[in-house]
Amino acid sequence: MDEKKKQAYGIGNAILIVLLALTVGEFLLGNFADVWSIVWAPLIAIAVLKAFFVVRDFMHVRRLWTGDEEEHA
Amino acid sequence: MSSVTTTLNEYRRREGTNRLGLWLFLISDTFVFAGMFVARFYLLGSGTRPEVSQELGLAITTLLLISSYFMYTAETAMAFGDTRKYYRSLMVTIALGTLFLIGVVAVEWPLAHYDGSVPTSIFFLMTGFHAFHVLTGIFFLVIVYRNSKKGLYTAERHWPVEAAAVYWHFVDVVWIFFYPALYLIGGVAG
Repeated sequence: MDEKKKQAYGIGNAILIVLLALTVGEFLLGNFADVWSIVWAPLIAIAVLKAFFVVRDFMHVRRLWTGDEEEHA
Repeated sequence: MSSVTTTLNEYRRREGTNRLGLWLFLISDTFVFAGMFVARFYLLGSGTRPEVSQELGLAITTLLLISSYFMYTAETAMAFGDTRKYYRSLMVTIALGTLFLIGVVAVEWPLAHYDGSVPTSIFFLMTGFHAFHVLTGIFFLVIVYRNSKKGLYTAERHWPVEAAAVYWHFVDVVWIFFYPALYLIGGVAG
């Protein structure tokens, strides 16, 4: 139980760090790259990646088809 | 099989149905936000963006991401019966959500100077609709907080906490796409 709890909180910490790092990355890309014809693509790609982590780990999309018993057991 | 187990199984079954319903609602809501997102690129292209404060944009985006982290922590704490951490994290989520709302509505909106042009119209439409969702999410979280204080949720039975968390993260996901669309892609119009 304690191990599962520690692991669950650890996932939250890891995802937060990844989200903040990606946000700083897109801020720098958006402010210092001035080739607008191509810069939108990596910015959207970063947004998709951030959304993926939130939907997978914070929103627990897997519970839709597995239920939450295995996570809370 | 004891009656307690049967009841818990029934709760899990209902929870599964509720979860599906919530996600269907969120998917339908996604189409509205996606329509605005597409409209922004249709009207402004990828070379123009509204005139907004970059520093404020980064600050409010960071606030919302951190609020999502605390919401995740609150839900996890509830699932493991860690009540003190649950209340603390939920309160921080509400506070950060409120700060985000203030940042957009009370700080960014006056700076953005609505002038009737396409870039400012798109900006106010997208941020306004999103801010309304944030406000709804805050109400939802306050209700969940009050009900928690009444002892309505336990580690095994806390679907409303999960629902509030999923809704809150959804609002975060929408902003993840709105942030580059409004603040980062393109040069300032005019």
